[in-house]
Amino acid sequence: MAGPALSQARSRRGFLQLAALGTVGAMIRPRQTPAATKSLTVLHESSFIKTFDEYFQKTLAPTYEKETGIKVNYELTSVGSLPTRISTITETGAGADITMTFLLLPFLFDEKLLDVSDIAAEAGKKQGGWYDAAKEAAIVNDRWKAIPFSNIGQLMNWRTDWFAEVGVTQFPDTWEELYEVGKKLKAKGHPFGFELGHGFGDNHGWLYPLLWSYGGHEVEPDGKTVVIDSDETARAVDFARKFFRDTMLDDVLGWTDVSNNKAWFAEQISCTNNAESILWLGKRDFPAIAKVTDQAQNPRGPKGRFHIMSAISHAIFNFTPAKEEARAFLRWLTDEKQLSGWYASADTYYQPLLHGYDNAPMWQVEPRNLPYRDALASAHLLGWPAPPSRQLAESVAKYVIVDMFAKACAGAATKDVIANAEVQLKQIYRQT
Amino acid sequence: MVEGRGRVARLLRTWVPIGFFLVLALFPFYWMAVTSLKPNAELYNTRMMPLLVYHPTLKHYVDLLTETRFLAWTWNTMLVAVAATAISLVFGGMLAYPLARLRFPGAGLIAMGVAAVYLVPQPLLFIPLADLINRLQLGNTLSAVILTYPTMLVPFCAWLLMGYFKTVPQELEEAARIDGASHWQTMWRIFLPLCTPGFISAGIFAFTLAQNEFLYALIFLTKTSVRTVPIGVIAELIRGDVFYWGQLMAAALLGAIPVALIYSFFVEHYVAGLTAGSVKG
Amino acid sequence: MAILTLPTRPWLNRESLFSWLMLAPPLLFLAAFVGYPFCYGIALSLQHRPVAQPGVFVGLKNFVTDFQDPVFWRVASNTFVYTGIATLLKAVGGLGLAVAMNQRFRMKNLVRAVLLLPFIVPTVLSTVAWMWILDPAFSVFNWFLIRLGVPKPGPSWLGNPLLAMASIIVINTWRGLPFYGITLLAGLQTIPPELYEVATVDGASGFQRFRYVLLPLLQPILLIVTLFSVIFTFADFQLVYVLTHGGPQNATHLFATYAFDLAMGAGQLGLGASVALSMLPALALLIAALTRYMQRQ
Repeated sequence: MAGPALSQARSRRGFLQLAALGTVGAMIRPRQTPAATKSLTVLHESSFIKTFDEYFQKTLAPTYEKETGIKVNYELTSVGSLPTRISTITETGAGADITMTFLLLPFLFDEKLLDVSDIAAEAGKKQGGWYDAAKEAAIVNDRWKAIPFSNIGQLMNWRTDWFAEVGVTQFPDTWEELYEVGKKLKAKGHPFGFELGHGFGDNHGWLYPLLWSYGGHEVEPDGKTVVIDSDETARAVDFARKFFRDTMLDDVLGWTDVSNNKAWFAEQISCTNNAESILWLGKRDFPAIAKVTDQAQNPRGPKGRFHIMSAISHAIFNFTPAKEEARAFLRWLTDEKQLSGWYASADTYYQPLLHGYDNAPMWQVEPRNLPYRDALASAHLLGWPAPPSRQLAESVAKYVIVDMFAKACAGAATKDVIANAEVQLKQIYRQT
Repeated sequence: MVEGRGRVARLLRTWVPIGFFLVLALFPFYWMAVTSLKPNAELYNTRMMPLLVYHPTLKHYVDLLTETRFLAWTWNTMLVAVAATAISLVFGGMLAYPLARLRFPGAGLIAMGVAAVYLVPQPLLFIPLADLINRLQLGNTLSAVILTYPTMLVPFCAWLLMGYFKTVPQELEEAARIDGASHWQTMWRIFLPLCTPGFISAGIFAFTLAQNEFLYALIFLTKTSVRTVPIGVIAELIRGDVFYWGQLMAAALLGAIPVALIYSFFVEHYVAGLTAGSVKG
Repeated sequence: MAILTLPTRPWLNRESLFSWLMLAPPLLFLAAFVGYPFCYGIALSLQHRPVAQPGVFVGLKNFVTDFQDPVFWRVASNTFVYTGIATLLKAVGGLGLAVAMNQRFRMKNLVRAVLLLPFIVPTVLSTVAWMWILDPAFSVFNWFLIRLGVPKPGPSWLGNPLLAMASIIVINTWRGLPFYGITLLAGLQTIPPELYEVATVDGASGFQRFRYVLLPLLQPILLIVTLFSVIFTFADFQLVYVLTHGGPQNATHLFATYAFDLAMGAGQLGLGASVALSMLPALALLIAALTRYMQRQ
């Protein structure tokens, strides 16, 4: 807006003209790239541990701003809406520079993410090397498209007092042993509660490990051959059915992720699969229950012990106008000084994926969380051993594996549910 | 006819069915109220009678108002709802009047077109709309939702208003036209004032739908300061698998009651408008 | 204002001009914000369009995939059942409510406002309340049922596929009944009392008055409200998304929630759009049928 316009602003009419011009101008002017980037936007899903988000907002961001002059905006989106938000951002090409990603998102959005292999290599070298699970989370076509931040582990939560009542002081080692304990506990009015509904974490958290520990797989590592129809799968399904029938509440068939938390604090169930949220909330609001809550690794099956990997990472959108600034920030964020502080703010809810943290002091704060660290070695992404792909994403969104188990538990024959799942998977994987 | 018996019968005939509907409508609210007043320990206690609260506490309300931006969200919601409703009533009226009252070629086609618009489901529109909103650089502003809500409200307002318009007798308009009034004057001075109850009804429901909307708000409003109540509450009070139940219920009540008060105010006017109309008419 | 004498050809007479001027702004608005996205949506449904990748035209392939997908048909049947039963319950209940409210009594305005609360409260929040009401451990229903002799822990309202469908129907009815009731009440109140009197004088009973006087006069409003409610219920998203997310085993999955999962969960925008579009023919048929049925009465 030049001089002559300003002098016109004296009169009210002039002011109105200016305002009108300004509005129209703002609407049709193309998006300007600021001369020097003064701010970055980091998109994150809101953490259930508020102090974690606050650590970024109150410690990390101001520190970075002081060091570099760049303001870092921490944009929170509600849990469950991150994929939607990332979709909108990638479709419209604007909205954030760096984003949190999890599960299959680095793969789905691969073409819109910057290659950050150099930052990953540097972090691996300096901080003890990456867990294998981390590589499953962020490497697409041999390139790191995100920097793994942490795993959010899903473990067995169990009531030590009730287990003691039936003579068990250590968490059972195998699924069959767990089943026997469950039968006794259900008879005493303390059933198990494992999610079989359309949630996201607490169902996959035990169903995939169950499948894997019996040797069942959805698809071969070639990413194409559907092998769900096998004796191993059938054994896993048969186990799930008797596990449900003899140890659990009926209601679990309709549970979503929040249901087992609710049931735990209502003292309805004695064992479930969950992330750290139960113990954390218990210590805060239900100390009596927290005292008798413990966490353990998943039980072993004939083919081993497995856990689900739910890794979260940070990625940079390749359409951001501030590529260099974003890379610099991510490199800074991945430095040990920042990471260790941020991890510690969340009580090991976020388990680091770099071996350098295996013996970090934060693990000693709550020894019951140690199994989370130990589980990392046997953690795999959904759909393992097949590599992540669109087809995998589709089969997960359609709850193929979850419903296969759920239908069997609800009474359908093993043969039928497996055949059904196979039909669905074949249809999904036949597409390119 | 025996006075007393007639009266009792009438009271029963009135209050029994109404009482039935009241209980049906209100018991979840009773539940919400009770939940919002229960301390967490009682909340999770399955042995107690769920309908009573033994040690009521206002902690959830206090936490809601102090630890979240609930008031900001409420303000945003009201603003958006009023603006979107105003736009929808104006556009709805502009569609309804010619279609209901005037004759012109293409009327049938337009009417069908408007109805067809209504069939377009939200889940189909949100990605293209996100693109459009972003190109207009309205992302994360209340304008984004103020402009997109009418897409679902305008056809509804138009339909409802057409229905009301058709029930108004034509004599007054014809008289005005004979007296030489233009179309505009007829519509503005004679017809529309008669339809206030219709506008109020349409406005009330448009307002309700607007403040209840979830999907578009989810997509377009991601900064916490511009969020509306449904989104803000879900984002802040549901973190992962941890629900802050007490605060959620407090939010439900605090969100619904002011709107209900607004309703009861308008319903007054609505009834007044109707009785006045019938007396004159 | 001078009175223009324009030719009386229908296209150019003042009535037409006025009409078109009135219609232009809203039509333009709808064209921009609905028409254009709708066409874009149709284009999406004809493409293989993974998120963040360019689309590839595949013709009707997405629809073929849908028709071969057993979940799709489950979703379709769920949506029809859900919409059909809930609408019926809401219409009947709403009529009952309207008739009950169409009497003079004290505190009528307060009652009317209070009855609308289920409709007013944001759906996401009332659904969260219902999550507790339907949890067997906390459910008031189960509490009473157990005391009446039903074995613990009582029916699993959200775990049993049939009960889960019944539950969402009940919640939807609870939420929408007031809307029906209050709108029909408004319709009832525009019926001049003389018509009732005439019928009474003629010797008609309460029920006959209802059937032959009230119902026909209410027809236009009943039609509008039903059409609106059907569309809304058919495309319902929030309720299922929050309560069961389509479970148990897809028993409560609706078109809208399934389309959302495919588009946002699987990143398949084309496939999601095709499911969303599948709603249209069904909706159009439903509405045409309803309209014809009501107009024949």
